Amino acid sequence: MQPNHAFAQTAPAIQITEDEYEKFYEYFYRRTGISFSGRKEYFVEKRLLERIAKTGSDSFKAYFTLLRFQPSGEELQHLVNLMTVNETYFFREDYQFDALVRGILPEITRTRRPGGTLRIWSMPCSTGEEPYSIAIQILEYWSRADEFAIEITGSDIDSRVLADARKGIYGNRSLQRLSPELRKKYFRRLGDDQFEIHEELRGSIEFSIANLSDPIHMHRYRAMDVIFCRNLLIYFDDTSRRSAVEALYECLTPGGFICLGHSESMSRMSSMFLPRKFGDTIVYQRPVEQD
Amino acid sequence: MPPKPGLEPGNAAVALKKPNHAPKGAEDVPHADLAALTLALASPEAGERRRAARELGAFPEAGPRLCAHLGSEPAASVRAVILTTLIRIKSPAVVEGLLPLLRSEDSALRNAAIEVLQEMPAEVEPHVADLLADPDSDVRILTVNMLSLLPHPKAPDWLAEVVARDPHVNVCAAAVDGLAEIGNESAIAPLQALAARFPEVPFIRFAAAAAIRRIGGS
Repeated sequence: MQPNHAFAQTAPAIQITEDEYEKFYEYFYRRTGISFSGRKEYFVEKRLLERIAKTGSDSFKAYFTLLRFQPSGEELQHLVNLMTVNETYFFREDYQFDALVRGILPEITRTRRPGGTLRIWSMPCSTGEEPYSIAIQILEYWSRADEFAIEITGSDIDSRVLADARKGIYGNRSLQRLSPELRKKYFRRLGDDQFEIHEELRGSIEFSIANLSDPIHMHRYRAMDVIFCRNLLIYFDDTSRRSAVEALYECLTPGGFICLGHSESMSRMSSMFLPRKFGDTIVYQRPVEQD
Repeated sequence: MPPKPGLEPGNAAVALKKPNHAPKGAEDVPHADLAALTLALASPEAGERRRAARELGAFPEAGPRLCAHLGSEPAASVRAVILTTLIRIKSPAVVEGLLPLLRSEDSALRNAAIEVLQEMPAEVEPHVADLLADPDSDVRILTVNMLSLLPHPKAPDWLAEVVARDPHVNVCAAAVDGLAEIGNESAIAPLQALAARFPEVPFIRFAAAAAIRRIGGS
């Protein structure tokens, strides 16, 4: 077996073989649902080497043993944090917003009378890009938007990002996926790299603090029709993730939907939800019947 | 998708309504009481049973009661919450409460027991020898599957021991699969010897060779 990677710059003694990569990929996928394509090899090896050095392991094999057999799972969590990219911008993973207006909302409202309330929760919402994107998507692309009272809530555990979300001021980087028309329609230019979201839209969305691990916090959020909980659960340890998923289940109305991040799979976390496919995206539904 | 005409941001208030998630009163915050929660496990409402199962996590002594309830609980959502609570309680009593479920006719229940057991390596360890010596080969296969995922440093040695000694080819095959992922050098000799133990089962030779390759042997 020949090593195929040498890391002369950072750790000349440590090499990872093809078979070791395979074992690592399989293990990491099984534990987290995250799979790496060949294109991400450098990304993976850089982070693996970083953790190998940090943990004082003298080989990949020693590190992999630590990773697999550490009862606390702490090292796996360190690695997950390194391997996941936390980035937010308008219309990130927009295929789910398409699924929202083409499949999810039409299904939910099939049996609802006009005038009723629809509740959508973006959790975590970070600096607000996601709940504002949801609002814009609905206003622009859902023909029945004005038949219902649509409540959109953005929540986060971090009060500083919530303050930014309420301000609603973003740079070009956040707006990169918005067409010039939508920029013009929903934003006011404040400066070269500063755009403020339309005041009325800002005032229509509730931003509130929420901690998924705190049952008292979570008690405030009930009867949600759709929850966007993307790229958060991946940062939880296994037990906390199970509890968080169960808390989200209680927040949903029966028949409601939860959208996870592209690297997250509910079937790896819980059997409480039904997978549903809308277009190219899989979302998860709380069973309609009171189970 | 073409933009929908007629709904301008100036009309946002027509469609969007600001919600209110003000804290609810103290009466909405659940009160935990062991006797009441145990009673609530029998509620006809699945939501009540989920709440009880969740809040019983504050009472480690409720572990055996929760294990016993698993077998008769009809709702998948309640079972899921019970499993999480059992993982949180994590005690020798929970392990003892779950082990009988490995013999259940209900495969979902067997898998649920494995799911929880593999989260408790230290508590499971005292039972491994007995489980691997169980006369029921299905119980041994489940044990091997659990060991393959158990974060315990002895897990590779336990699997190697299975490959060296277990008389049932399916139990050995399950252990070979586990060793392909977590095995170390100590498994290579028993893996090499495995084909000779089951000459009538051709696939075992290939499975063992693949595992040896993955472990890093020749």
